[in-house]
Amino acid sequence: MTETKDNICPIIEMHNVGIRYGQGPEILSDIKLCLKKGSFHFLTGRSGAGKTSLLSLMYLAQKPSRGVMGVFGKNINFANRDSLSLLRRKIGVVFQDFRLLEHMSAFDNVALPLRICGMNDKEVKKRVTELLAWVELDKSMYAKASTLSGGEKQRIAIARAVINRPELLLADEPTGNVDNDIAPKLMKLFVELNKLGTTVVIATHSEKLITDFMYPRLHLQNRSLRVYPPAKVFGLGGGNER
Amino acid sequence: MRDNESKVQRKHELPLEGDSTGVFLKVMISIAVFIFALTLAGVLSINSMLQNWNNSILGSFTVQIIPSTESNHAKAVAETIENQNKTIEFLKKHEAVDVVTPLNDAQLQKLIKPWLGDGVDLAKLPIPRLIDVKLKPDAELNYRKLAEQLAEVSPAASLDNHKLWLNKLIHFADGLKMVAMTILILVLLVNSGAIFYSTQTSLGLHKYIIEILHLMGAKDTYIAQQYARRTGWIGLIGGVIGIVLAIPAIFLLGNLASEIEGGIISEANLSVMAWGIIFSLPLFAGAVAMLTAYYTVKRTLEKMI
Ligand SMILES: Nc1ncnc2c1ncn2[C@@H]1O[C@H](COP(=O)(O)OP(=O)(O)O)[C@@H](O)[C@H]1O
Ligand SMILES: [Mg+2]
Repeated sequence: MTETKDNICPIIEMHNVGIRYGQGPEILSDIKLCLKKGSFHFLTGRSGAGKTSLLSLMYLAQKPSRGVMGVFGKNINFANRDSLSLLRRKIGVVFQDFRLLEHMSAFDNVALPLRICGMNDKEVKKRVTELLAWVELDKSMYAKASTLSGGEKQRIAIARAVINRPELLLADEPTGNVDNDIAPKLMKLFVELNKLGTTVVIATHSEKLITDFMYPRLHLQNRSLRVYPPAKVFGLGGGNER
Repeated sequence: MRDNESKVQRKHELPLEGDSTGVFLKVMISIAVFIFALTLAGVLSINSMLQNWNNSILGSFTVQIIPSTESNHAKAVAETIENQNKTIEFLKKHEAVDVVTPLNDAQLQKLIKPWLGDGVDLAKLPIPRLIDVKLKPDAELNYRKLAEQLAEVSPAASLDNHKLWLNKLIHFADGLKMVAMTILILVLLVNSGAIFYSTQTSLGLHKYIIEILHLMGAKDTYIAQQYARRTGWIGLIGGVIGIVLAIPAIFLLGNLASEIEGGIISEANLSVMAWGIIFSLPLFAGAVAMLTAYYTVKRTLEKMI
């Protein structure tokens, strides 16, 4: 069920990948993974299971300590710094700890990926203003990120991740700090992006999220990865299988 | 509306303006440019001085044959002529010499006339004979060595004193120039070093932001450009401060020098081009600062994952 031979794997591909920090033991071993274009997965596992580590491989913050990994069809083991940068521009990330530029405004934070791509100021302003309004942050647009609440910061982080319409969206527990009423709205954003062709992986603890949205699950346990289709895990059956 | 407009203006992600290293670099660079400007002014004046001296020393010189003190007149004349011939022979063989012309009696008479009046029979007087020597174009001549060689050929032959003295002065000035050049290079190295280390420190300080920029897809050049722009400005401003301080100092030294008797130093005027070079030092400082910062960032970041 996890893989079939004739699948092409254009987005993320891992063969016998291992991750370790320094000289420590491997925290993930022999990971085999194939994310097809337009797929949507939850990433689950206990705290410390390695969800953030696996995502950090995907957003190219580190290279695997073992095995072969391909991103957008490019072998990461042989990619140079500049080509890694270009690949990262096609990936949107919501970090667990947000990683905002605290000294800059909400606007500047969300504008960052566009500016890095060299977009002109007028277009940047148009796009950022629109998206900030959508995540209900238009009032704090020019407030320094450091003065905003946890929920507001998270919405900035999400807006920054999607502003450049990424081909791959990775979110590390994105709905954890968000007020309950906006969480569904943000999930809807991810779903909409996915319908437009973005490949999505969301690490989460939320049982509600997993049961509300019938997507397959990447589960980390005992240093290894297993892929579950939604129906088999929760026994809900029905026609939701993707 | 205008308020919002200005808030949206392009900002740089790295808060480098607040860096304490900026003040340090500005002071450092202004001192460096001050020293640089003074030293450069010194080198350029020495150069113009050397040029003047070289012009007067290059091309030709005169050798003097002191008349023999032999009491027998005929013998004395013969000895003087022999000394002259030996000297001419030697000079003709010298590799830097083009034409050797002993002044004839008529020419000597013309030279001496203002002192002795008309109708002096040179043959009867113990006046020195003069040999005019033209050098080959671009020939380099060590006058001190030549003087020694001449003394060996004939003790009666001697070089024009003034030229020997100038020659020594030129050697001294050349030495000074070397020292000044060394100072310029050292100042440049020390400054580039300071920029290198403060840039590295700043990169460490802003590691968190740089990581975010990288994760958003920024290339190293994106970060390097922010450093280059900011450090270039610091270099330019520091350079302007240094120059503003250096100009009065250069004039003061120039005035002091022109008070020296003999007018040797007054030949050391700074040309328009020299002033141009000195006034362009802030630009030079800005460019050096910018390039150093740029390549420091590139090199340092390459070692990151
Ligand atoms: N930078 C790091 N250096 C050393 N160990 C780390 C680092 N990041 C994570 N780990 C370790 O790797 C394991 C997996 O962590 P993580 O990927 O953050 O799990 P999760 O996101 O599922 O909670 C943990 O045991 C953690 O201590
Ligand atoms: Mg985590």
